[in-house]
Amino acid sequence: MPAVTLSRWTMSYFTVAAGFLLAAETAMAAGFGYPSVAIGAPATLIVVHMVAIGWLSLALTGALFQFVPVLIAKPLLSGNLVLPALALIAGGLIVLLFGFFALDHPLLAEHHCLAIGGALLVAGFLLAGFVLARTLWSGRPLALPARFAGAGLASLIATIFLGLVFAVTLSGSIFTGWGVALLTNAVPVHAFIGLAGWLSFTAMGVSYRLLSMFMLSPELDRKSSTFVFAAGAALLAIVVFAGSYAAIAGSFGPGTLVAGLVAGAVVLAVYGNDVLALFRRRRRKKLELNSQAAAMALILFGISAAAIAALLGAGRFDALVIAAIYLFVFGWLSGLVLSQLYKIVPFLTWLESFGPILGRMPAPRVQDLVNEARGRRWFVLYFAAVLAAAAALAFGLHYLFRAAMAAQVLGTAGILFETVRARRLHYATGKFPADLKKPRLLFCAASPSSKGD
Amino acid sequence: MASDPQTLSDHVRFILRSVIDPEIGLNIVDLGLVYDVKADSEGHVSIVMTTTTRGCPATGYLKQASEDAANSVVGVTSTETQLTYDPPWNPSMIDEEAKKEMGIQ
Repeated sequence: MPAVTLSRWTMSYFTVAAGFLLAAETAMAAGFGYPSVAIGAPATLIVVHMVAIGWLSLALTGALFQFVPVLIAKPLLSGNLVLPALALIAGGLIVLLFGFFALDHPLLAEHHCLAIGGALLVAGFLLAGFVLARTLWSGRPLALPARFAGAGLASLIATIFLGLVFAVTLSGSIFTGWGVALLTNAVPVHAFIGLAGWLSFTAMGVSYRLLSMFMLSPELDRKSSTFVFAAGAALLAIVVFAGSYAAIAGSFGPGTLVAGLVAGAVVLAVYGNDVLALFRRRRRKKLELNSQAAAMALILFGISAAAIAALLGAGRFDALVIAAIYLFVFGWLSGLVLSQLYKIVPFLTWLESFGPILGRMPAPRVQDLVNEARGRRWFVLYFAAVLAAAAALAFGLHYLFRAAMAAQVLGTAGILFETVRARRLHYATGKFPADLKKPRLLFCAASPSSKGD
Repeated sequence: MASDPQTLSDHVRFILRSVIDPEIGLNIVDLGLVYDVKADSEGHVSIVMTTTTRGCPATGYLKQASEDAANSVVGVTSTETQLTYDPPWNPSMIDEEAKKEMGIQ
């Protein structure tokens, strides 16, 4: 029996995540949330958390269950907690969203949905974090990409605990002076550590390995990537502790912000240089669609991060910053996740369907499971729509924003549809034995790699 | 009857070309993943191979596929496959002809 290392429930995480993305984008196209209402309005909080938790965090967590064992060449530990974690996170998110909804409806005011939803989310992410942290611990000493994942997990824990403080304070369940101070002043810390620490820093670490694997690039000079890790992790820790302390003490000076932005810009510049080196030194000259789309996401990462830093450094928090954050979330983070789903899903599908017959009969390649010409159209539409939506936000053109959002929904749906087709072996027909069982959409049927201890 | 060990190992090496690396789409011999194939006069075959990435989820399948393919060669009585990452694989190990075919430099 081969030592299968397929994560059984990663596909379930991807499916739930994709559902939240489509729902959030459709809601925005219908005029729900910012810019139709204020940035801090409950409707905006609903779509923001659908995207940040429901889509990005679930997709990244699901991918890490598959990818952390690859990074450390060890099996996933406590894998029996993976599905309960998904149920807690998805359930907790739905309760949290209802809690946000109730903020706008006085009849529903007597509720503790925010606190309950927040607690369920914390429980779910702690379970998922435990599985990943325990697995990482077994792989010490950790390779650099795995250390990024460790720092990303620490950022996740910081994000959800700050979020929990906000949720219990907002719902009135527990009312403390420092809780109110954090809710009033530390929302930027919560957003930063979630988007930059958990989602981006983890993705950056994983990208070092994925880009090198998929493009056949030689290993990088470790000095620069070690610098990105060490300086980035230190910066994230400073933001969490100093930012939270300053929020409670009410002493957050603009000098601190500028120093943080400059340090962040240096880290990103070194990372950008590393990524460029990976692309330049690749042995595989023809880029696959997933790498092309990832390159686009990385370009938008650079543009949006630079714009956010410059605008915040100039003391502006207006429509332009929101447009830049939109570009960061949908151009960089969502663009990257969609591009990697388009690769990871066919890869997992190949392993599940063709791994067992390899060597006994002809098997297709992973690339035979996708139709890049069709996939490319949807990626082009997606990224064009994201750029148009960000521009519409920047210039306050609300109807154009909704039209761009509608195109973005279409682009997203197209990419996801093509990914499902790969999963269902649509394009590989005729290249495999007729009696081969098609894989299930929601889970991998091969023996799980994890030890359920 | 067992074949001549050299001929047998050549046959095994040939049949290993039917095993492809799913990601790159090239067979594991031309890709340079098969470091050594030895056969003895009893038909016992030992294969030393690697994978493009340590910890790759396809590792178990590639190892099993190599054994299945080798065992299908007439004259092979048993096959043992050993995985190694010393030296680690790198793209310069790909067969020159195959590199051209795959657009790899």
